[in-house]
Amino acid sequence: MRPILLSGHERALTQVKYNREGDLIFSTAKDQQICAWFAHNGERLGTYHGHQGAIWTVDVDPTSTIIASGSADNTIRLWEVKTGKLLKTWDFPTAVKRVEFNEDGTKLLGVTEKRMGHLGTIVVLDIKVDVEAEQSDEKALTIVCDESKATVAGWSYLSKYIIAGHEDGSVSQYDGKNGDLLYNLPVHELNQPITDLQWNHDRTYFITASKDKTAKLISAKDLEVFKTYVADTPLNSAVITPKKDYVILGGGQAAMDVTTTSARQGKFEARFYHKIFEEEIGRVRGHFGPLNTVAADPTGKGYASGGEDGYVRVHQFDKGYFDFMYEVERERQNKLAAQGAGN
Amino acid sequence: MAAQAKHDWADDDDLDEITTELPPPQKIQNKDGSTTIIEYRLNDNGQKVKTTRRIRYITHREVVNPRVAERKSWAKFGASAKDGAGPMPDTTSVGENIIFRPSMNWRKDAKNEDKDPNAQAMKDKLKDKKVKCRICNGEHFTARCPYKDTMAPIGEAAGADVAAGMADDEQSGAAGVGAAGAGKKGSYVPPALRGAGGAAAGAGERMGGKYGERDDLATLRVTNVSEMAEEHELRDLFERFGRVTRVFLAKDRDTGMAKGFAFISFADRGDAVKACAKMDGFGFRHLILRVEFAKKAQ
Repeated sequence: MRPILLSGHERALTQVKYNREGDLIFSTAKDQQICAWFAHNGERLGTYHGHQGAIWTVDVDPTSTIIASGSADNTIRLWEVKTGKLLKTWDFPTAVKRVEFNEDGTKLLGVTEKRMGHLGTIVVLDIKVDVEAEQSDEKALTIVCDESKATVAGWSYLSKYIIAGHEDGSVSQYDGKNGDLLYNLPVHELNQPITDLQWNHDRTYFITASKDKTAKLISAKDLEVFKTYVADTPLNSAVITPKKDYVILGGGQAAMDVTTTSARQGKFEARFYHKIFEEEIGRVRGHFGPLNTVAADPTGKGYASGGEDGYVRVHQFDKGYFDFMYEVERERQNKLAAQGAGN
Repeated sequence: MAAQAKHDWADDDDLDEITTELPPPQKIQNKDGSTTIIEYRLNDNGQKVKTTRRIRYITHREVVNPRVAERKSWAKFGASAKDGAGPMPDTTSVGENIIFRPSMNWRKDAKNEDKDPNAQAMKDKLKDKKVKCRICNGEHFTARCPYKDTMAPIGEAAGADVAAGMADDEQSGAAGVGAAGAGKKGSYVPPALRGAGGAAAGAGERMGGKYGERDDLATLRVTNVSEMAEEHELRDLFERFGRVTRVFLAKDRDTGMAKGFAFISFADRGDAVKACAKMDGFGFRHLILRVEFAKKAQ
């Protein structure tokens, strides 16, 4: 495969997101613009200007009408996808590290940083998915994380739960309606922050990436850990691939630690694991720095990764990716095919 | 006439070229749907260059979600507002090709790649060495020698003719080795081939095999085996003729598919002979097996 390199940012990437149909890619970096790209050829659709600080996060609603972004300038902003127009700004006391729409795009959650005497919070905003509509200023819900600040958060299926990953390596489940804390389980090593949390297609389970060098597949309903993927480097991002049962992990030594450790190059690779068998099945090289974010094309045809080096690399998988199967998988397929023929 | 006579024949061409105009570009519609475009231009040295290009346009149709199609027609905005259609080279480029094939033993594959420096060093060391055939002294590998079946290696001339038939017949094989061992006095004889008499030589030969006890004389080589074949299937096929001591099916390390050949060792040579006769030409998994006695490993 020949990756497409997108060089629209001058600083390290912070998040890359595909829209629902997988034809647009949104990328944010520590410079102050959001870029929108066409996934099929890497053409840049446009940029969204207005933030006054590093942008940590972006998310697009399911209809690809509006995007939300969270930034170190203590705001969440809402933009019209098509024109790049700023629709709404919400101000917060501290930086916003993560935003995510729920399944139907009517709610947006934001994770705010713990700083300057303010505790970390998860806020929920009601959104009208319409570029003409007046968005409400009110926060529908505020969850205060008084024990350990949340680093990432997301909406489960049917917006039933809000799942948050914390700095101390625990994952907690909040009620999506009233924000009550239902569970808090230490799934990752103590005090190793969770760096990413991404859902499978129906949001019944999710994958977390942590600095403790593991990624875990966890049920949204009862926070049961299904699978653990062990890597040899701190992880910044993890994603579940549609169509094929793989997960992609991205990581690498933190940029600030690279010079303090041995000169050994690398670990700046996207690692592919088999989702079920938890075994590493391959790596994709390319970035010159740690991978800060990986995103999977919802159509299953490719993935994009954003690195500390400022590049987004968009990959379209080859045939070998789709053909690869474990022996048991192949046997099962043959058996099913035989059964189908028998009927 | 006089002026023309002064021209050397060698200059003629040059004059012609300066005077002639460039022919107009041509466009030819080919029968197979492609277009040939022929263009002429002058290069830096003033020489005429003809460029012929054959182009075929292929319309690739893809059905996409109407909303995706609509988004493709959106006007660009922000920093890209002034960009034309298509990807801009300043923001979008294509990386080098990456080969990514998921594999269960990718770690081993990667290790093999790591070993490459050594392989390179070995290559450098052998760069000046010439390949020389041990049989005919030609510039090819011994295994590729056209005379490999009819001649023995040069050093073993004494046992040449018999050695060739070694694998086929126990008697002549033993004799051949004996001859090779005894015939060359003073030259080094590998321990496997040492021994005075024919019987001892036979024993020595057997011990010299790569797998110690393996009896090459009762081993069949089966070729044209289906890729999907499994070892136990072959065992079932051949067990009818007698006790099978070993089944080896060569498999591809990456894909796990059979490579198309196998070795079957029998406990008894008589069974092997029977199996060889019966199974040669046997239809197995849509392919016709070819069974012969294995040649002795050199």
